[in-house]
Amino acid sequence: MSRQAESSALAAAPPGAAPARWTWSVLAAALAAGALLPQVVTSTLAITLLTQAVIGGILATAVGLLIRQAGLVSFGHAAFFGLAGYFIALPARHGLWPAEVSIVLAVAAPTLLAFLLGLVIVRIPGVAFSMLTLAIGQAFHEFALRAREITGGEDGFAISLPRALYGVPTEIFQRPQSMFVIAWVALVVILFGLHLLTRTRFGRVTAAIRENEERARFLGYQTVVPRALVFALSALIGAVAGTLFALYNAFVSPEMLHWSLSGSALIMAIVGGTKLLWGPALGGVVFFFFKDLAGDLTEHWPAMIGLTLIVVTVALPLGIGGALVRLLQRLRPAGGRTHG
Amino acid sequence: MLLQTLNGLVYGGLLYILAVGLVLIFGLRRVVNFAHGSLFMVGAYVGYAIATHFGNFWLGLVVSVVVLAVLGVFLDAVVFRPLQREDPIVTVLVTFGILLVLEDAVRTIWGKDFLSLKPPAALAGTVQILGESFPTYRLFVIALAAAVAIGLSLWLRMSRIGLFVRASSVDRTTTAILGVNTDRVSVLVVAAAGVSGRVSAPVLALSPCMGRLILIDSFIVVVVGGLGSFSGAFFAALIIGQLHNFGVVYLPWAATMIPFLLMVGILIWRPSGFAGQHV
Repeated sequence: MSRQAESSALAAAPPGAAPARWTWSVLAAALAAGALLPQVVTSTLAITLLTQAVIGGILATAVGLLIRQAGLVSFGHAAFFGLAGYFIALPARHGLWPAEVSIVLAVAAPTLLAFLLGLVIVRIPGVAFSMLTLAIGQAFHEFALRAREITGGEDGFAISLPRALYGVPTEIFQRPQSMFVIAWVALVVILFGLHLLTRTRFGRVTAAIRENEERARFLGYQTVVPRALVFALSALIGAVAGTLFALYNAFVSPEMLHWSLSGSALIMAIVGGTKLLWGPALGGVVFFFFKDLAGDLTEHWPAMIGLTLIVVTVALPLGIGGALVRLLQRLRPAGGRTHG
Repeated sequence: MLLQTLNGLVYGGLLYILAVGLVLIFGLRRVVNFAHGSLFMVGAYVGYAIATHFGNFWLGLVVSVVVLAVLGVFLDAVVFRPLQREDPIVTVLVTFGILLVLEDAVRTIWGKDFLSLKPPAALAGTVQILGESFPTYRLFVIALAAAVAIGLSLWLRMSRIGLFVRASSVDRTTTAILGVNTDRVSVLVVAAAGVSGRVSAPVLALSPCMGRLILIDSFIVVVVGGLGSFSGAFFAALIIGQLHNFGVVYLPWAATMIPFLLMVGILIWRPSGFAGQHV
């Protein structure tokens, strides 16, 4: 069978088909909702929490993408998140180049690194891949902790940003009200971009590789590079989250690279549901509000997220998002029938 | 130089005992236990508590073996066996949850500061090796790891269970069809993780994150050695132990990067590790 025939058999809808009209309406509605929310929610505390939740949701989306599109579970995504932070902070500290350049590098460098690493580690299947990502995250964290002369060690340091970035006052990035809108737009654009991506040939080839790598390889597909690209794309999204976080807080420390952040991102994705594009982001929002509610109990936060992870993995494998979708599906046919 | 090599052997030996546990569980159940390092940590803390309370090092060792064996039975019955039919990643996520819970429990009970434990009086001295003095206790750890390595390879080759384990690593389905019961192995593996944790207490400092740190190194050992290979894990543990020690002494800021870079290098050269045919 020729390669073309296979690829069209592989794709149910022709690749590159224009998205349905409603998707554009959803995009517009999502953007509008984000822009209006700070007008409605006046409490600074709530909007600060929401901003954190959305940035966390972007990181969770990165982890979720890797699970959904490549079947690979990463325990080390804080590496890309934190690297982005250090790529902004270190040049500013040593006055190497303008902050605008640093921001571009902060997204590009972790992506490139992930692609190169990906070429090596995506060949390692399943569980072993997860073990390696844990090691990657830890290696960068320890490096930031130990290499005091370069990174300032455990305490981290404040990032000295110029008054304006790309002509926008830096203050905009640091006020929760405006940062919320920026982070929200970033999240919506990322989710929309990923939605379009799953409809392309690339999206379908990677899904085929996820389902059966060996078979996809026998059909003549290159299987390493597409997965490395998914890994790089996932790192890119993680780096965007890290960049936003660093601009918002104007501070970096090895905490940004810490394994517990990787673990949290993974938990957000699992809790939200990785079968759905928007599941991990939902998980991020739930995670931060749950954490806020936990209040005094946050001393035992690691144990609480540990227990939540166990319960959700075993009892709710589709996550909260999956459970919601199922509930809606159950309601819809019933509603249809009563209306005739 | 000789002393540094011996120190590397101490860490390599501890890594080997842990890595073997991971390899055994992987061979039997095709899953990886992310809580393995936490069991090492729990073993160390339980032993520490008993030893400081009763003032007897060896009693602490015995108690931590018993506690960890019970924990092993429990984990196997509640986690590994029920989740066997699920995707391996489910077990990974659940054991990661257990890791978080155990680490928090230890931090709550014993605090997050470093604790240290003195070796028992009988092994507290130093030995002269080629004109340099080396702590006797560390020699004991090396000897213990060597004994575990030899005992294990004999056990795998000679005993019935060992035969089952090897069979199961090669072809789990057929082995299961033949009705092999390998449950006892999990107990042994978890108890071994506890012993190595306990034994390591006078060498490494006790802290709630000790389990995670050694877990990552033992993951590197298992992957570099070739997932599921005992001999691969043995050589990888020796090499990573030396590199770890070399890094800590000469390049402290890069200590964790060195094993990691080695791992990347080996995976480029041989994607399935030293001894893996295909993963």
